[in-house]
Amino acid sequence: MAAEVYYQAIGIVQSHSHLNNFNRHQKHQSNIVRLVARDFVSCNGLSRRSTNRSGRRNCTVIRSLASQTSVVDPVLSPSRSNAGDSNKKSNEAALILIRHGESLWNEKNLFTGCVDVPLSKKGIDEAIEAGKRISSIPVDVIFTSALIRAQMTAMLAMTQHRRGKVPIILHNESERAKSWSQVFSEDTKKQSIPVIAAWQLNERMYGELQGLNKQETADRYGKEQVHEWRRSYDIPPPNGESLEMCAQRAVAYFRDQIEPQLLSGKNVMISAHGNSLRSIIMYLDKLTSQEVISLELSTGIPMLYIIKEGRFIRRGSPIRPSEAGVYAYTKRLALYKQKLDDMFQ
Amino acid sequence: MMAATFKCQPTGLHGSGIDASAPRSSRNFGRFYSMRFACNTRCNTLRHVHAPLSISHDSSTESSLILIRHGESLWNEKNLFTGCCDVPLTQRGVEEAIEAGKRISFIPVDMIFTSALIRAQMTAMLAMTQHLQKKIPIIIHNENEEATTWTRVYSEKTTKQSIPVITAWELNERMYGELQGLNKQETAERYGKEKVHEWRRSFDIPPPKGESLEMCSKRAVSYFKDFIEPQLKSGKHVMVAAHGNSLRSIIMYLDRLTSQEVTTLELSTGVPLLYIYTEGKYMSRGSPVGSTEAGVYAYTQSLAVYRQQLDEMSP
Repeated sequence: MAAEVYYQAIGIVQSHSHLNNFNRHQKHQSNIVRLVARDFVSCNGLSRRSTNRSGRRNCTVIRSLASQTSVVDPVLSPSRSNAGDSNKKSNEAALILIRHGESLWNEKNLFTGCVDVPLSKKGIDEAIEAGKRISSIPVDVIFTSALIRAQMTAMLAMTQHRRGKVPIILHNESERAKSWSQVFSEDTKKQSIPVIAAWQLNERMYGELQGLNKQETADRYGKEQVHEWRRSYDIPPPNGESLEMCAQRAVAYFRDQIEPQLLSGKNVMISAHGNSLRSIIMYLDKLTSQEVISLELSTGIPMLYIIKEGRFIRRGSPIRPSEAGVYAYTKRLALYKQKLDDMFQ
Repeated sequence: MMAATFKCQPTGLHGSGIDASAPRSSRNFGRFYSMRFACNTRCNTLRHVHAPLSISHDSSTESSLILIRHGESLWNEKNLFTGCCDVPLTQRGVEEAIEAGKRISFIPVDMIFTSALIRAQMTAMLAMTQHLQKKIPIIIHNENEEATTWTRVYSEKTTKQSIPVITAWELNERMYGELQGLNKQETAERYGKEKVHEWRRSFDIPPPKGESLEMCSKRAVSYFKDFIEPQLKSGKHVMVAAHGNSLRSIIMYLDRLTSQEVTTLELSTGVPLLYIYTEGKYMSRGSPVGSTEAGVYAYTQSLAVYRQQLDEMSP
């Protein structure tokens, strides 16, 4: 069976689209994020989003782990007989981050921000593709932003999930909404994945640039000013948010509402936006503001973190089930996948 | 459970009924209309080829109303009573939505109303990815001051290219009370098949803590009259993406059905229904045929012209 998680030693390097078999430590000064490549295994199709003409990279930044014995297939290892391990919720949980795919305004090159624009056809395909990649990773609770493109991405992705649990969006906006959406079967509840929508996970609010054509805005304000708004840490566009402001509310929400879930052993998926997710990653990976402003997340490519003993360990991006690769799962995840395989045999 | 199509069969110029719909919906239950229609689109094309064409035709006299019932949800698949539980679409439901979108891809849409539930919203947004006109749906947020400010668009041009999407709980599915989440088989065993059938099919008997169809109709139809009808009156073309019970309630109003008739009305999932609103009256126009399916157009002249313009616009 195909491996599904692998470590990718990423280059946000001009010429590279992917790296193979790196065994050395690399530091790229020109690029802002530190790169550590160890125990690298195969890279397969993930970095198809390499540099585009404007110089922006759409690669995920991943630091691989030295400690993980990625070469050994945990499913086949002798310790597999400890089936009970997978049930120990104790202190390990999976965190999946998904950035939604192309929206109809992305297609038109308009600044979107918090305007609630849905996915394009391509964005729908990206969401389903993302879903295939995480189809064997447990999900107990889902958090999305209040915007339809992130919600759709989550729901489309979950149509691919093998476990068969059903996402249910929670409604707490009013008493009536709460009572009307009540479920009256315990069995059904157990088979449900609560979905919580939070404006705090929304995209960065772009103020007076929302709805404007990127070219026109450059013409109106000047390319440098626009670039500054887009890429600085603390300079907001008129009536909008800086990345810092966005990070403030996104990370606060993460710490208050999401982290406790993870610490209690719940596996979480977050479906959100470029800026709210990089804010969270800034917190998870302890990045500096300098590092975060050049962090680019691929759209529709999920990122996996393992929370273990209070620490967030990045595990790269799960590859599709049909892609070959070496298992880089934790034991627990591998057992979970094995169970799914058994269920569907 | 199979839903029969509520469909008006356009009668051809030669008087024969033509089943111009999707393979699933060949049976015709409920009311049947034989319709007259102006002429087929080719006539219109030739007649109007020299006339000044504009997208916004004489809209004060006619506007289109599209009703779409969402497709399969994850609980439909599991045979659970869903009601107002906010359960998303299955892969099949996603495909149904896209298919529905292809069928209405050339019918003008100026505004979209959906329920507050994701399966109807997704259906609308998926359907609109197939639409030929270049306008973009934007969901309106008015839940509080901040939401309104945060979602503001700062370009007039962009606003003109937008289709506002309004979500309303009043268009939600009928609330099924204590049956929500229950397995249909188990419920039949617990309460008895007849009782369950009565709740599901009567007009005014609600399940425990739930809504009767009558209660659902009240809030759905008054929302329609207060918020949707004025848009149609002003010439706006509207799409409503909602649920079996909220839509049949609306159809009860549009077609002036009796409570007896509405309880046997079944709407196909994912098959859009078209109405033309003109001079205060609703004319049912059946279900638009997909663009690749042969059939006789039952368009009004203005819709046919609109479609022709789109054909000319697209590459």
